This record gives sequence, structure tokens and C-alpha cells, in this order.
Amino acid sequence: MIGMGAMIGAGIFVLTGLAAEIAGPAAILVFVLNGVVTAFTGLSYAELAASIPKSGGGYAFVREVFADLPSFVMGWMLWFAYMIAGGLYALGFAPNFLELLHVYDLTPAPGQVGAVALPVVDAAVPAAIGLAFVAVLSLVALNAVSTAASGSVETIFTLVKVGILVVFVAFGATSPMFATAEFQPLFADGAGPLSILPAMGLTFIAFEGYDLITTVTEEVKNPRENIPKAIFASLAVTVLVYLAVVGVAVGTLGADGLAAAGEAGIAQAATAFMPTGLPIIQNGGAIIVFGAVFSTLTALNAVVIASSRVAFSMGREEQLLPSFGQLHHRYGTPLIAILASGVVMLGSVALPTQSAGNMSSLFFLLSFIVVNGSVIKLRRERPDMNRPYEMPFYPLPPVLGIVLNLVLTGILVEYLLRTDVLALVLSGGWILLGVTAYAVYTRLGSRDDSQGTTDGRTPQAND
Amino acid sequence: MIIAGGGRVGFETAALLDTRGHDITVVEPDGDRCDAMADEYVVTIIHGDASDPDILRQADVEGSDVVAGLTGLPGLNLAICMEAEEMNPAVRTVARIAARDQERYERFVDEAVFPEGASARVAANEIEGSDVRTLADVTGTLDIMEVRVEEEASAAGKALRSVRFPAGTLVISDDDGERIARPETTLTPGKRYVVAIEPDVADEVTNLLRG
Repeated sequence: MIGMGAMIGAGIFVLTGLAAEIAGPAAILVFVLNGVVTAFTGLSYAELAASIPKSGGGYAFVREVFADLPSFVMGWMLWFAYMIAGGLYALGFAPNFLELLHVYDLTPAPGQVGAVALPVVDAAVPAAIGLAFVAVLSLVALNAVSTAASGSVETIFTLVKVGILVVFVAFGATSPMFATAEFQPLFADGAGPLSILPAMGLTFIAFEGYDLITTVTEEVKNPRENIPKAIFASLAVTVLVYLAVVGVAVGTLGADGLAAAGEAGIAQAATAFMPTGLPIIQNGGAIIVFGAVFSTLTALNAVVIASSRVAFSMGREEQLLPSFGQLHHRYGTPLIAILASGVVMLGSVALPTQSAGNMSSLFFLLSFIVVNGSVIKLRRERPDMNRPYEMPFYPLPPVLGIVLNLVLTGILVEYLLRTDVLALVLSGGWILLGVTAYAVYTRLGSRDDSQGTTDGRTPQAND
Repeated sequence: MIIAGGGRVGFETAALLDTRGHDITVVEPDGDRCDAMADEYVVTIIHGDASDPDILRQADVEGSDVVAGLTGLPGLNLAICMEAEEMNPAVRTVARIAARDQERYERFVDEAVFPEGASARVAANEIEGSDVRTLADVTGTLDIMEVRVEEEASAAGKALRSVRFPAGTLVISDDDGERIARPETTLTPGKRYVVAIEPDVADEVTNLLRG
């Protein structure tokens, strides 16, 4: 449930507009194809999670299989992917929140709601970054001083989100705007079918939920059946929901309109066709906008937890400073891991949303490659390990997973070279920084443990 | 940590260690037993005979701190421990034995355990049915243990009142085990404290006290 919450949650509200900008109406295809690509990785996750009962997600599995340096790089990448995802959600939260205020304050008459004033969002860009900043800061603070909300709350959150999206689809599909929907031309102007590939790269982050599922597998009963079930159920539901929502959004607002609305795409589509003049909430769009604000916030919370958890387990494995792996004596939380994650997240808020999405997707792609690799390595090195769930057609899925993820990585990198060199440079910088820090740390660590303190500060100094 | 033998002793031990935050790999030759353990979802399992070097290697002896031979066969346990020692001289070995006299074995392994002795004590206590007795062997899931505070732990050197232990924890004695702990009791590094812990928070408590 938690993984589904993250997958359906924020990605759909934030990324739809951006995907439409690159791929046009084919944004619908983008999510389906991504679902297919990630299915192979899903099999790998299912097999690993069923046979290694550790709640640490991809990092824990890779740590089990690979030597020190590769597993360090894996954790380092995954940590970054979650932190940047945090920045992305914060950046998605801000315009949607402004839209929510806008729906309430600036829409006196029904019928005028559809004319969402773009200038409001435009003029508010500095305010948006400020808002994103505040959102990260408060959630980090919340998680730093108290232990996380329980899984059951997360389940309710997910149900609320899915409910809101169902309302969205129901109204959208029956609205007159959808009846005259234009899906032609399917692809963005002059871009052709290939334009969906970079969009796939960008929106890949939507499927980070696999890793989240496997970070919280501790209470699983009968893993043989339940873990693969959880992974595939959430994959299927996620793809279905994306399909419906993106279809409706493209159908009503048009790909161009959606693209123009950017991070607030879904919210604006909703304000365009939802009934207005309802009591209290004034217009139906407010529900969806509220949904967007709610999901981005919960997703932000989830990645604050997830990122600090990766850093925490790296600390416990002594791949980061041991203090990362310690609970604070007063708050009972992995305070240092949370604060360090928070600092990078705050830095990433200054990035454009698209760069944040690109970087996070890039790192999830890379870590999925490693996860697929570790399935193969584990099968070869530990053939007699008990595997409660064994994937069908064994060598095929992980190999396909690696190849397809590599292809997407290549395309994404190529796309970034053309459009977003900054993201690429920052990503490369992060890996370099990690490897350097690791080299220094292991050298110092072998000589004198206490010396490591200076080097451990580097992750925070990054942004 | 590696435990050879996933029978009652081996698996119960593994489950207990899991609540204390350790990663356990169990080696077990019986397939049905492996499936039953897999359903419990607490340990990684290697299906095979631990005395086979190839199987033991798959449990990753090089990357482990401790190897415990807990099968019902003392000879097999000894063999496993010595085999593991050969693969990784730094590993600590623990063997389950079948006789009370432990000294004889300690030339070959770091620790010898005699589970029947412990269960006999519990059984004797129960049979006697006394109304007041020492708790160590008779608590249900509640764990009462003595923990040595580690230098680098985040709670080290702090007064009890300024440490937030998770609910389900009670620090019972002060550092020499002579007084009941009080809010101002300091958790001095290197000293031992008696702590009562519910299993689901054992991991967090050990993290606070041991780092």
C-alpha cells in the first residue's frame, strides 16, 4: 500500500503536464510503456524481497550480493534519487497549493473557473520556491523529532488519493470537453514517435514505489504469495490509474494546455470541467486541487522517510559515518540521516522541476539496473538459497530489465545533453563526490575511526 | 550471522536475534523446514547441508561475524565451526553440544551452548511452581537482558531522563546492578544495565545503547 501510495500519489499530479510537454497526447503511451519496462524489474524485486527478509529496499539487497564499493554506490545513488524526488514533490506541491488558494480566493463566479490565470502561477514563481522550501523544512523537522506515521495512516492516504482520482476520471470522461477530445496528432509537433522516449525517462520516477514496497516488508506474512502480489497489484493499479487520468486530462485540457500548466496540469484540467457552485467547496476542481496538494505532501513525507532510511542503513553497515546509523537519544529518530537528507532536498528545491524529475529518474533507472544485476549474481553465487518466490523464465526478465533500463538511461542522458546539462553535471558530480568520499572515508576509517568526521560532512556541503 | 540448523533451537535463536536487529542466514538441509521458515519471513535461508563447504560458502562466511552450529548433532556442529574458522579466521564460533561439561569443547570453538540445560532449568521452575522466582528463564516474549553501553552509542553518557526509549522499554538497574535505575541514572559507557524490552522495540533499544 505504501508503495502504491507513492506511485500513484504525486507523480501523476506533477509529471503529467511535463510528460505532455515533451510527448504530446502520447503521454498516455509513456506511462503504459514505462509500466511494461518496470515489470521486469518488478520481478527481480519480488524475488529478492521474498528471499531476503530485510527491510531496506534495493540497497539492502545489493549490499547482500555485491562487494563494498558497488553497494556503496548503489546506496549513494538511491539516497540521492529519493532526496531529489523530495525536491520534485516539493516543487510540485507549491504550484498546486497556489492553485488551491486561487480556487478559493479568486473565483467568485461559477463559469469563470475554467479561465485559470496562468500569470498567477508565473508571478508566483519565487513564492513557489519559497513554499517548496517551507514544505521540505517542516516535513524534515516533523520526521526529525518524532517517529513516522504508521502504515495504516498511509493506507488511508492512498485510498483518499485514489478516490479523488476516480472522481476526476468519472467527471472528466463524461464532460462535454472529453466528448470532443482531440488525440490527433498523437505526437508532439514535429517530434514523431521517438519523442515519447525522453518522456519515459522523465516520468520513470513514478515507479520508484517498488523500492518503497520493499523497504517496508517487515510485517509480511506468507511472502511467497504476498510480496509478488503486492508488487504486481500496485504496478497494475498504477498503470491503470495513470492511463485513465492522463487520458482524461489530455482529452479535456488538450496536450498543449496540459503542457502549459506544467506541474499543476491535472489540477487545472480539473478546474476546467468539474461542476461549480457547490456549497462550501465552491467548485469541484477544488477537490482535485486538494488531492494534488495532499498527494504531493504525503509523497514528500514518504521520500523524507525513505531517503533517511537509506542513509540510516548505510550508516549501520558502516558505509557512511556510523552516526548516520544511530537513533538520536532524545528523539528516537535517525536524526542525522534525516537532517543530511533534508539539506540536500532543500538544495534541490532550487532546481527547475524538470531537472529534479530528470535526475531522480536517472538515478532510479541506474539503481534498477543494479537490482536486476544482483538477481543474476545471487542466482549464480548462491544457487542453493531458498527462494520462496522464483521468477518465471529466469534469465530473461532481469536481462530484459537491464537492457531496457539501459536503453532508457541512454536516451535520458542523450536528452539531457541536449536540454539539461546542469542535471547531468550535478548527477555526475554526485557520483564522483560519493566515490571520493568513500575512498577518503575507507582510508581514514582503516587508520582512525574518529578522523572520518570531516569527510562525512561532504554530502551536506554538496548543494 | 550464520546459524546452521533451522530446527527448533536454530530457528528460535534466529528469530530472537532478528528482533535485536541482526541479519541472520540459516542453513537447513530439510526442504519442508525451509518452506516453513520462509513463511515466517525473518531470515535468509540456504537450502543444503552446512558441512558441505560449497553450501557454507553460499551463506557468506567471509562477511559474517558469527557462525553458530545449532543442529542436534554435536559432531556436525563442531565440524561446521571449524570449517567456518578455516574460511574466515576472524569469525566467532558457537557450537551446540549435548553434554553438560562444556570445557572440553572450548579448545575448538569460542562458545559452547547446552540448550537442554537451560530448558531443564525452566522446566524445573515450572514444575516446582514457586510463587516468586527469578525471571531470566521464564518470561514470555518479554526480554530481560543485560546490555553493556557502547562508547559511541548515542545514549552513552546521558542521564536516563534525557533519553527517549521507545514505549515497551524499562531500564531496571543502575550500572553495578545494585540499585534500581532512577531518572538521574547515567548510562556510563562500558557499564552494564539490566533492561526489560518488548521484542518489537529491541532493535531500537540496542541501537540507542550500542550504536
